[in-house]
Amino acid sequence: MGDRQDSSPMQAFDKDALDLTVEDVYDISYVIGRDLLKVNTGAREFSDLQFKIVRVLEMFEMMVNKYNLSLEELRMERDNLKSELERVASEESNVTSHNNHQNIGPNKLIVDLKDPNRPRFTMQELKEVLQERNQLKAQLLVAQEELQLYKSGVLGSEQNMVEVNLENPSPSEPPPRIPSENNKEKSTIQKL
Amino acid sequence: MHFAPPVSKDRIISKFPKCYNPQACIQMKDDWNMKAKVACQDRAARLQGYDRLKMSKAVVVGDLNVGKTCLINRFCKDVFERDYKATIGVDFEIERFEMSGLPYSLQIWDTAGQEKFKCIASAYYRGAQVIITVFDMADIKTLEHTQQWLSEALKENEPNSCFVFLVGTKRDLLSAEECQRTERDAIQIAAEMNAEFWSVSSKTGENISEFFFRVAALAFEDAILNDLETGNSTAQIGDGNILNDKALENSAGKANEELLLLINLAFK
Repeated sequence: MGDRQDSSPMQAFDKDALDLTVEDVYDISYVIGRDLLKVNTGAREFSDLQFKIVRVLEMFEMMVNKYNLSLEELRMERDNLKSELERVASEESNVTSHNNHQNIGPNKLIVDLKDPNRPRFTMQELKEVLQERNQLKAQLLVAQEELQLYKSGVLGSEQNMVEVNLENPSPSEPPPRIPSENNKEKSTIQKL
Repeated sequence: MHFAPPVSKDRIISKFPKCYNPQACIQMKDDWNMKAKVACQDRAARLQGYDRLKMSKAVVVGDLNVGKTCLINRFCKDVFERDYKATIGVDFEIERFEMSGLPYSLQIWDTAGQEKFKCIASAYYRGAQVIITVFDMADIKTLEHTQQWLSEALKENEPNSCFVFLVGTKRDLLSAEECQRTERDAIQIAAEMNAEFWSVSSKTGENISEFFFRVAALAFEDAILNDLETGNSTAQIGDGNILNDKALENSAGKANEELLLLINLAFK
């Protein structure tokens, strides 16, 4: 404070008006006050003038203060807007690069080609597989029923020749049974 | 000459099965239709050969995870699997019965409840004599969706050609009070759908056989009566020389051919 009072207060007068701070205003006030004391005549005119000067300095202080505050506010607002702009711009570029990359429209699906579980068969293929499965299952059911008939001996029991075949299976000689079974099947069907 | 394998003892139905609740019931009568009964006796006496006589198609529809597959598996295989396993598209089972002395088969088509399989499953709706709409009694939303499922299934069939059933599953999960409340709601919806209501548990097996017997009996009787109406006696198939060259080739009987045909038709 002491330094300032001795050496620096005068510097405030050399500053650019727009760079002035309230401290500069106080320095100026100090200098003017000091000089006024030197020329104090004690006259009524002098004290009137002094009062007006003090009033002007007060106004000056208020204006500088206000100016600096507004300046600070504007700076902050500018900085905020700048960062906001950067954020929006980067988002925008993300979206556009995404679009350019995948070319994804509405009702589209992104598929990870490295995912072994990714969807990859068409509905038509699934339909065909299912149809084939159903046919095989139906054939299996038919075969199971026929097997059951053979096992239970119902099939062909009306026919003597078949009965003989069924009753005298030769476990040690399976090959001869195959033609006989074919015969049995044919003959049963022929009987029908 | 009995060509078809004997029907297992627990699939022989001689008495007309009762409904679950008279308030939501398709047919109130206690016995077979008189005409059908006579026709059955007549045919049973003449029944010969590889004559599976009749096969009806039932499709099972409803939301995913309501227990359509469990319902079918309990009846057809007497098993219960607790874990959810989505049905891929469609599956089927065939149950053979002896109805009033006549052999009878029921194709039970199990459809996927998942939306993504709907376009596949719906291809199998057509030609159904029975539509079984299933909901989870512990999840009231699934009941609300049954009408949508039904209308989709009906769309693929001739008007008034199907018996409709509304089946509530998982009744073992509900308290007696909750069960009563849900059944009351379901009966109301069943009335709107012209459906017969059943409340079952695949886990405990409660009402499962009773339900499918009822389905089979109604579909069978309907088939017999339809035959009488059109004068198309199926017994003649067994009497005559039914097996053509093609049948000789694959040694499949009429019913099996019919089955394969139906499976193929579902995709046309």
